[in-house]
Amino acid sequence: MLTPEKIKEVLKDNTINLRFHARGGQGGVTASNLCVEAFYGYGICQPRFGAERMGSPTESYVRLSANANLIRSNEQVYSPHFVSVLDPSLLGEIDVTAGLPKGGWLIVNTTLDQISIQETVKRKDINVATIDATRIALDVLGRNITNTIILGALIRVSYIFTLDELADAIMRRFVGQIAGKNIEAIKQAIEETCVYDIGVDPDFTIDNKVRWQQVDLDLPGYKELDLAGVWYCDEEVIPVGSDQVNTGSWGEWDVIWDEEKCTDCAQCWYICPDFAIVRKKGDDGLWHMAGIDSFHCKSCLNCLEICPVDAIDKRLKQGPAACAVPEDQEGGN
Amino acid sequence: MSIEPMRLFFKEIKEPVVTSMIGNYAVAGAVTQTDPDVICAFPITPQTQAVEGLSDVVNQGRLKAAFVNVESELAAISYSTAACAVGARTFTATASQGYLLMTEALPMAVGWRVPLTMMISARAFNSPNLSIWNSWEYTQTNSELGWNTIVSENVQETYDAAILAVMISDNSLFPTMFVHDGFIISHSVQKLTLIPDEIVRKLTPRKPRHTINTKHPGTWGGIVTPSFFMEGRKNIDEAKEPVLGIMKKSFEEFGKATGRNYSMIETYNLDNSTRTAFITMGSMCGNIVSWMTKNKDIGLIKIRTFRPFPYEELQRIVEEYNIEKLIILEKSDSLNGMLPPFSMTIASALYPLKTLFRSFIVGLGGRDVTRDEFDVAKKKMAQVSDMKGKLYMYLGVREKKDKLYGVED
Repeated sequence: MLTPEKIKEVLKDNTINLRFHARGGQGGVTASNLCVEAFYGYGICQPRFGAERMGSPTESYVRLSANANLIRSNEQVYSPHFVSVLDPSLLGEIDVTAGLPKGGWLIVNTTLDQISIQETVKRKDINVATIDATRIALDVLGRNITNTIILGALIRVSYIFTLDELADAIMRRFVGQIAGKNIEAIKQAIEETCVYDIGVDPDFTIDNKVRWQQVDLDLPGYKELDLAGVWYCDEEVIPVGSDQVNTGSWGEWDVIWDEEKCTDCAQCWYICPDFAIVRKKGDDGLWHMAGIDSFHCKSCLNCLEICPVDAIDKRLKQGPAACAVPEDQEGGN
Repeated sequence: MSIEPMRLFFKEIKEPVVTSMIGNYAVAGAVTQTDPDVICAFPITPQTQAVEGLSDVVNQGRLKAAFVNVESELAAISYSTAACAVGARTFTATASQGYLLMTEALPMAVGWRVPLTMMISARAFNSPNLSIWNSWEYTQTNSELGWNTIVSENVQETYDAAILAVMISDNSLFPTMFVHDGFIISHSVQKLTLIPDEIVRKLTPRKPRHTINTKHPGTWGGIVTPSFFMEGRKNIDEAKEPVLGIMKKSFEEFGKATGRNYSMIETYNLDNSTRTAFITMGSMCGNIVSWMTKNKDIGLIKIRTFRPFPYEELQRIVEEYNIEKLIILEKSDSLNGMLPPFSMTIASALYPLKTLFRSFIVGLGGRDVTRDEFDVAKKKMAQVSDMKGKLYMYLGVREKKDKLYGVED
């Protein structure tokens, strides 16, 4: 069982590493920034470097210690002790427990129970804390923004900083009423967090980084690349091409096509930025609309706007994937 | 969520403030404090927020500067150089391909002796593929055009460098660029202490200097025949001689005013048992310092001023600590078969001392540089006893699937 005293002792000669999983727009980076601001010692926060887009899976890292020299490293965090997941739909999509040691903590915004979480992430050697942050967010903030609320759960299990320290950081960062509301939501989160402690604490002296993991050894090497660095469309040399990215998980809507109403005008096909409108060649030798590629459709709704016969409709994604709230429900529950 | 990253700079900063920011916004804040007259830059990842932040401050009314939008980096540097030449305190910023596009106008800022300042958020050049991530493009090609260059390790240093650059430019009448590693520093949130405005004002007073003006008309940059060009170049070269001294003095003055003391070269644990040290620049230095908490038999030499290069100071340090071997780490390559650019500089500086060294090319295009690279470089260096054979190698690169190049274990 971790205690405030134990954590203070650990921080003297070790780093405590955090990782936040969220989707673009949910404020995962802000959550990690707040950790650095709230922490009394030295801290550094990095997003996973790259282009963040609305709805795409994001990661951000925090490294904290009372020893300034340990925090000088700009290496990314490979071995987090506390992982927070803001959007439960990420559990099936991302390996959220990567690098998490035995006894490490997984904090999830979810209504699911511990067994389900453990089964989903296939780890029984980690501690789990769950919080229905979405409900608190809708109740208190009136918006489904859970990034500060998840920090309440983090306070409850980690003792890295106190509620007062976090409240201070929030007051410095947010303007007006929103600061007070966030603090109120965090208080509620601390109380409502469900803690499933397996009775093992993480060993903070061990770093779980796999040697050379930053080099992604499972990808082709320099001797196997094309002479001009070209990624040819007809070869499967590069296993990380953009057509293999599940952009379909980024959106908040399922887009539905009505075959009856469709006139095959193909306007949706032209406007779709992701080639997610599927067409097939019919027996008549002409191309016909055949459906929507949900693996790539990130529900920008351009097709819905342009369709002249209302053959395209939308439906809010059900269950945990519904990461955003439609405007007409905002403020309610 | 209403977050205004530049909010702290909307009003007078009266006392030192501890806060946390990304590198780019920290630079925007520091530039605000130096009170520029003209800001002219073209956005490019990962430099963007530095300019965005400044537009925020100008829009809010705190900074009375001309914020000029232009169509390219070549336009940005041309406009900035000209604005600076008519007497405006001017700031610009770029990275990577933008820096290459500026190339045509970069030498003239030096030739006209304008105290322009520029932030570089270091990012790879595109070849053979596009990369928005960190490499040391600033050590390549354009590093020999005569710009003063300061390199920063972390957010505090890059914030301070924005102020130091104005001091150094104004005192030397040469343009100064200050560099931080793209994304690694530009987009990382770190704690830093802001300097009160009053102190920044005292550190960066306006000084009378030569400017384009109507009272004293002349042709700037006009053609000269072979009877004059060489004298022009020698004139600049001689003017460059005192610049290292000016930088040193600026660092000292800055240290006195803020309590943060920088040197052209910083050293760590050089009095070690193996008489070996890493030598590098930028954010990697932090990684090495952290790694050194468990590797106490090796030292680190951190270069803060890359141009002009303090070669006598480096020689003095190597001699004083009796350093026998240097491990050069750099995030650029030259494809010249000899040495990458930073290593060439070190090799030239140390030629008289015949110090043994090997150069390791790491972290290109944003690849993380970790303890793995340091462990292997240290191990490889322990075997080195002469300067024969190839002096550089890429480290942390895949040769084939599941096979790392040049590392056996």
